[in-house]
Amino acid sequence: MTPAQQALADLEAAERGVTVRRVRFWLVAVAIVAFYLVAGHLAQIDPGRLATGLPKIWRWIAQAWPPAIEEMPLFLQRTAETVAMAAIGTTLATVLAIPMAVLASRNITPVPSLYYPARWFLNGLRGIDSFIFALLFVAAVGLGPFAGVLGIALHTWGSSAKFFADHIENANLGPFDAVRTTGAGRLTTIAYALVPDVLPVLLSTTLFWWEFNVRASTVLGVVGAGGIGQELKNSMDLLDFPRLFTIIAVILVVVTALDQFSGWLRRRLA
Amino acid sequence: MSTRLRAALPIPSESASPRLVVGGLTKTFKGHVAIADINLSLLEHEFVAVLGPSGAGKTTLFRCIAGLLRPDRGTVRLDADDIAQSTGRDRRRIAFVFQQFNLVSRLTALENVLAGRLGYVPMWRGCLRRFGPSDRLLALECLDRVGLLGYAMQRSDTLSGGQQQRVAIARTLAQQPRVIIADEPVASLDPNSADSVMALLRQIARSEGVAIICSLHQPHFARSYADRIIGLRGRVMFEVPVGQFDQAAHAQLYGAP
Repeated sequence: MTPAQQALADLEAAERGVTVRRVRFWLVAVAIVAFYLVAGHLAQIDPGRLATGLPKIWRWIAQAWPPAIEEMPLFLQRTAETVAMAAIGTTLATVLAIPMAVLASRNITPVPSLYYPARWFLNGLRGIDSFIFALLFVAAVGLGPFAGVLGIALHTWGSSAKFFADHIENANLGPFDAVRTTGAGRLTTIAYALVPDVLPVLLSTTLFWWEFNVRASTVLGVVGAGGIGQELKNSMDLLDFPRLFTIIAVILVVVTALDQFSGWLRRRLA
Repeated sequence: MSTRLRAALPIPSESASPRLVVGGLTKTFKGHVAIADINLSLLEHEFVAVLGPSGAGKTTLFRCIAGLLRPDRGTVRLDADDIAQSTGRDRRRIAFVFQQFNLVSRLTALENVLAGRLGYVPMWRGCLRRFGPSDRLLALECLDRVGLLGYAMQRSDTLSGGQQQRVAIARTLAQQPRVIIADEPVASLDPNSADSVMALLRQIARSEGVAIICSLHQPHFARSYADRIIGLRGRVMFEVPVGQFDQAAHAQLYGAP
């Protein structure tokens, strides 16, 4: 027997019978099945209710014709409100995100002791949805799109600053070092070596967040923070299905068009 | 090279006092001593090669001299000023050439060379990349000096490796330094580009009156281009004129063949 054959025989002997690996495999399998059973129970999964509920939705769709064309000017104005809320909220978030991203990047932060507090702060903002911020701001500044803008801005601030910071932490710092050795100050070095690299990413993610926030903020109207969501909720409350489905169609068309537009713009930036 | 650039460059002094003196430089990383008690000096016009195996501390030594790392102990004297702990504008007198060129990839060759002026111009000019005509003329002359004037407006990531390294050298020239540190400047280049970059560096040491210290992987480059060779292995093993770098020195540095 050659040494290799001996090694193979030893391996095969060790793999026979109840091995640690097999026990571990079955333990993990049982744990996964148990997890889904508990999760299904908590989520109150009930296919019976879906079976009785689906026909209702079909009936509503059938009642939705003809669409509520006569109210189109109002729907378009409300949708424009939503798009504008998302645009201003996202822009505000990006402007606030830039200094926070520098502070939350381990490799270039001017104040290393603030690195973790900055990260925690951003995680906090990110962890709270725009919807929840909007609820708070509706109570604080009153009904209307302004509350929505503030909600979007705060949540997106956290998300985009964290994204930029991760990007900066992974950036090649070679050019940064090179510019530093020319005798440039810290701010100049960031502006000269880092900004040209980061700017296209910054613009393209800002576009992405804008597009994402348009989709997300269609629901902000539900809590009274303005935009098309408010009309959507009114129609649902009144069971006015022609109106409801017309609004959904408008949202679909606008969101798709924006997706295409921002996708095209982002490809041009790359 | 134009007379204008020559006039703008520091006039070499005829005194024999050393340009750069490193004394007792020590740097430790988490208990591991990277370089210990390094002493060396450079004269103007001199081209000194630093040889040593991987992990010998060449990059650590160079980064400490250039201010990219803070040494634990020791002095770095440039024209009699101790700059071991200084930052910012004081650093413009020492220029650095990197193995990976380290150009800002989305900027043009000219903008990369103009980075060499950042230690001279006001901050707003640097932040906005708006340089005056004299700085732009100097940068173009530096590009001309490395043979790339025709590529001034080309984005640097579209240039070949050899061209990028020459742009990086033009950047150091625009910095009008007293010392150029080159850390493995030809390790990422093909043999032809490597030869032209080494020739360019040596020529700069001769005509510009800067002192150049250059680490190399291949001893034959050191033999062909350097005036003096320093063997480094955590500390200075030897320091010899290029003619005295023989088999024994080679074996001492890299181990017996």
